[in-house]
Amino acid sequence: MAELIGSGILYYLTSAGLIAIGVYGFITGPEILRRILALNIISAGIFMLMIVLAYRGGANPAITTDATILVDPILHALVLTGLVVAVSTTAFALALLARAKRHADASEQP
Amino acid sequence: MIVMLLMLPLLGSLLMIIRPAIAPLLTLVIAVASNVLALQLLQQISEEGTMQWLLAGWPAGLGIVWQAGTLTALLILLTTVLQLLVGLYAFVTHKRDKLAAVFWPLSNLLQFGLIALWLSRDLFNLYICLELLGLVAVALVSLAGGKAIKPAINYLLLSLLGSLCYLLGVVLLYGIHGILDIATLASQWQDNQLSYIALLLMSGGLMLKAALWPLHLWLPGAHSAAPAPVSALLSALVVKGPLYILCLIWIKLAAVQQASAMAPLFIATGMAALVFGGWSALRTPFAKTMVAYSTVAQLGYALLALGFLLKFSHPLFFAALWLFVLSHALAKAACFLAIGEISATLGGKRLTALKGASQTMPLAMFAFALSGVSLIGLPPSGGFLGKWTLVQGIWQHQGQLLWMLPLVLVTLLSAAYVMRVVVLTFDQAKPVAPDFAPKLLPQWLALVPALAVCGMAFLSEPLLLLLQADAL
Amino acid sequence: MSLLLFDAMLCALLLMLALSSMLSRQLVDAIILYIAFGLLMALAWARLAAPDLALAEAAIGAGLTGALCFTALARQGLHAAGPKLSRQQRFWPGLFVLIMLTGLLLSLLQLQVQSGPLPAAVATQLDNSGVSHPVTAVLLNFRSWDTFMELVVLLSALLGTLKVTPPLTQRGNWALSRSWSQLLAPIVIFLAGYVLWAGASQPGGAFQAGALLAAGAVVLRLNKQLNWLHWQNGWVRLLTVIGLLVFSLVAIVAWLLPVIPAKPVWLGWPPAVAGAIILLIETFASIAIGITLTLLVVAEPANHPAVITHQRTEEGAHG
Repeated sequence: MAELIGSGILYYLTSAGLIAIGVYGFITGPEILRRILALNIISAGIFMLMIVLAYRGGANPAITTDATILVDPILHALVLTGLVVAVSTTAFALALLARAKRHADASEQP
Repeated sequence: MIVMLLMLPLLGSLLMIIRPAIAPLLTLVIAVASNVLALQLLQQISEEGTMQWLLAGWPAGLGIVWQAGTLTALLILLTTVLQLLVGLYAFVTHKRDKLAAVFWPLSNLLQFGLIALWLSRDLFNLYICLELLGLVAVALVSLAGGKAIKPAINYLLLSLLGSLCYLLGVVLLYGIHGILDIATLASQWQDNQLSYIALLLMSGGLMLKAALWPLHLWLPGAHSAAPAPVSALLSALVVKGPLYILCLIWIKLAAVQQASAMAPLFIATGMAALVFGGWSALRTPFAKTMVAYSTVAQLGYALLALGFLLKFSHPLFFAALWLFVLSHALAKAACFLAIGEISATLGGKRLTALKGASQTMPLAMFAFALSGVSLIGLPPSGGFLGKWTLVQGIWQHQGQLLWMLPLVLVTLLSAAYVMRVVVLTFDQAKPVAPDFAPKLLPQWLALVPALAVCGMAFLSEPLLLLLQADAL
Repeated sequence: MSLLLFDAMLCALLLMLALSSMLSRQLVDAIILYIAFGLLMALAWARLAAPDLALAEAAIGAGLTGALCFTALARQGLHAAGPKLSRQQRFWPGLFVLIMLTGLLLSLLQLQVQSGPLPAAVATQLDNSGVSHPVTAVLLNFRSWDTFMELVVLLSALLGTLKVTPPLTQRGNWALSRSWSQLLAPIVIFLAGYVLWAGASQPGGAFQAGALLAAGAVVLRLNKQLNWLHWQNGWVRLLTVIGLLVFSLVAIVAWLLPVIPAKPVWLGWPPAVAGAIILLIETFASIAIGITLTLLVVAEPANHPAVITHQRTEEGAHG
């Protein structure tokens, strides 16, 4: 895993940058849909951080010879769970948004 | 038993989704059964001490751990009791208030999520519990439709931001220690800057979700827009979940220096919450918004007690913290149910609509006044018990007596906003005529938690015994 | 060296796409950029030895979230321009974020390159878990409670969504896309089955299979196939909860019939049958996930009359 020494820092930088961009988008907005996208970018950044950590934190090759355990499977499982949670909340947020829009339209018309 | 406590509401809600017709009745049956189970659990734990479950039989660390001390058991009991009350209230009024059918499975899922949260001792599992709680809470708020959608979106977005903040902290901690189980993590805790940053991130997210000042701005809108039974559940239980995790990480995880460095911040924000929350509650013209702001203020007490606990690490503060939480949960459930019932009957959301309510709806008003007694902290009530314990704790640290002054001030403030309502309802000049004959049963249901919070004063001995420092 | 160059380009592209998605004027552009971002993200994760996650991210981050965003945009009008931000409104958040970024970076660089105790523990216990793929073992055995709760989250999101969704205005569909989508269906089901089965030993599993099923079903549903797939249908409701139902029933059975340990263990699978149990749970979970995700995208509101009338006209046309 020596190859990651240089790239590792690069990916750390990227994940931190993504989180920062997401937070910026969340604060400035201005549309709610963009805020939802911003939240997704933040979570993508966090998941990326987890994957980088998993990549460097795999089991010691001395313990196992199985190539698949060279990365930390716990973190991978957590990311998978986190992805499902993120997509559920995104779907719900978007549905609420659509409803809010319709409510605004309905109150404008009469 | 613990499995039954979790599986009953879950399987119940699944059944309700498949066959919506049986939902209201099934909810009540489940609530009653859960209460019996929760009482048994409390009894067993107070006799045999803290219990622990290793899920799937794997050692802690690899698997997820549940743990229940007396505090956990008390909170589970609180959850089931309030679920039963709110379920009954919703059962009685759902036809009149046009409560959506999806309320029933959602409220059961809420119970499931809360109990899972009280039990879990795994940082990532707690994250999922938080997300579940936030999602269900927003879904419940959005049931009110129309004007509730906008606050619901606000609530959802900020709650998501809060959870992501928490998740980032958890990831950092995992990066440092490589472990998620709280007890194991505490034993290997590295007291360095990085772990402090992780704790701060987690706290920020949790404070946002628990609506602790100054991150409370979403709360009044969301809690006042929701249907009455939902507001009761949200104010009484949902905001306590993140608070519980906040206590867990600072009491169990943080090193002594880290905790005492954080204490002044918690004390200051607690004070600010009390002052500004109380002030806003005093100024708002809407009844439910007032009760919601009072939640912001009352959460300040809990945060204050947490700050003192971290600073002096005296067990009395721990007891005070949870006494506040318990009494606030009961009092707020009573408040929201009473105000909801009065607003539904008299029509109108403004405080002025309550004029003369002591005449037209004396029972509901009595419930509100009793819970107000607890919110102010007058004896005999749970709120008084909490405040008394807090003062006792401060008393034992000479030189800290200056803290009494702001406490008196905020007590006066909460007295002012409660009295404002009570005085208005005794205004008999032009009482607002009810839209229809007031129903008695919902008013009684609002009175039950109010009586319970008064009853807490007479149970001070056993309660203090249950809330020992090792109860968490 | 060339790998480092690849990494650098990938990272730069990711950051650029994310930033331009946040800064673009039109929401449509923002969504398209976000989808491109999601696809590249999947690439990055595949590079970081996480093929499971790359698969899931491609299906969700790019596919499903994109579809969801476009649906939401279609509901609120495609070219709704938001208010423009003044320089002041951009400056202070920017400053705040820069400070935050520096802090985060400084702390991240302190993280030491070392592995925790858990990967080794997973490796030693893998033989007792019933599957040979470590991620699946973690998801459905070591930390199965997480997965259980994740299914509950998905279900509650669906409940919330169905309550609030306004109807989607359905346009006339295109004959070609209809016939193509019919061709697509068996392929998708076959692929999903394969991904599910492969999950026991290789990357893949319930969630990816569910996402694939959902992708197929969404295409079909939008082309006015699968008209039975709506919330009023009791069987559909049963299917959405079947993952949790089977999961909890299996868990309760395993809890009540302790085969080896004297004390019942919640969610503990006896090692002899663990593989079978996990496959059973995964199968039903992926069906439930597929149906739930489909309903999330093409959410039919509860008690929406248009669905029923629409069906009637279809039946009339056939008759």
